Amino acid sequence: MSEPDHGAVPERGNLSPEDIAEFKRRASELGTRIESVQAEKQAEIEEQEDRANRSRGMAYGLRMSTELVAAILVGGFMGYMLDSWLGTMPWLSLLFIMLGFSAGILNILRTFKRMQADIEAQKGFTIGKTLPDDVDDR
Amino acid sequence: MPDPIYQFEVKRLFPLEIFGVDATFTNSALFMVVGVILSFGLLMYASRGRSLVPSRMQSIAESLYEFVAGMVRDSMGEQGMKFFPLIFTFFMFILTLNMLGMVPGFFTVTSQIWVTAALALLVFFIVIVVGFAKNGLGFLKLFVPDGVPIYVLPLVSLIEVISFFSRPLSHSLRLFANMLAGHITLKVFAGFIIMLLGAGGAASALAPLPLLAVLGITALEFLVAFLQAYVFTMLTCMYLNDALHPGH
Repeated sequence: MSEPDHGAVPERGNLSPEDIAEFKRRASELGTRIESVQAEKQAEIEEQEDRANRSRGMAYGLRMSTELVAAILVGGFMGYMLDSWLGTMPWLSLLFIMLGFSAGILNILRTFKRMQADIEAQKGFTIGKTLPDDVDDR
Repeated sequence: MPDPIYQFEVKRLFPLEIFGVDATFTNSALFMVVGVILSFGLLMYASRGRSLVPSRMQSIAESLYEFVAGMVRDSMGEQGMKFFPLIFTFFMFILTLNMLGMVPGFFTVTSQIWVTAALALLVFFIVIVVGFAKNGLGFLKLFVPDGVPIYVLPLVSLIEVISFFSRPLSHSLRLFANMLAGHITLKVFAGFIIMLLGAGGAASALAPLPLLAVLGITALEFLVAFLQAYVFTMLTCMYLNDALHPGH
């Protein structure tokens, strides 16, 4: 490492105490500057990742919002068509709206499952809690 | 106040009839043609150099390619790359049309339900054709989830069928509704500025407030324009994946 360059360069091993103090001061100053630059860069990267994650979350949100509505509409339409075909007016419509609702919830659950898998693949952990499956539900 | 719906009006530019079918060239058709030419032209222009160290345009084209290719590989695996041309076309088409719609005075093609429905139905039928071609009747396993006891199977299958048929609807509705709602909001807030300025006096002093809102909403709309192209493409990948590997 080269000595600080001001005035006449003293010979090796022949540094004055002021020069050593000056050198130490500059070295520590450089250290803090490097640290602050690194912290700045790290914050920048984290912010970018955060922004990407937020827009990905928004994409999932936009997806789920229509899943439920679409499934109920399709269910209701199917029921209505069957009703007007078989002449059983309100009953099949009601049944199929319920079924459509179930299909919508199913769609949302599937989307959510995929979202969790996505997050786990990216961050190595899931959000929310994992509850044990009920033993009696199958 | 200017009519916020007026911007979605389809106008006949010049009438055309092919074998008795009304194929009038409308402003919607015009912007679709512009979108196709623009996306095709920009990508061709960007990739003309094919240099190892990409130019600015080339690196944009490359990152678009990488983005969609990553999406396809993530959701379908390497064999999904067979569908890459289709999926990339969908992405570029929708992205270009959404972005064109953000230019003031331009027509937003993706805010027409018939356009998005046609795109979604195209995906729907491709999924059915590919599904049956690849798996034969095994494609019907999509409606029979594993590990379901036989006595509730009819109910579950019915729900799965409804879920399957709700796909093209939600697929098309999402793109359409987001573009429509966004553009109407933008127009309504922009209308507030003019109304407040027209009212004069103290009300005019409030005019900058909706202007700020319009500024924010415009930024949000650009994000939504991109996200909707992304979501549409992403769901296309997922549905095609179901066609390749039926059963959840």
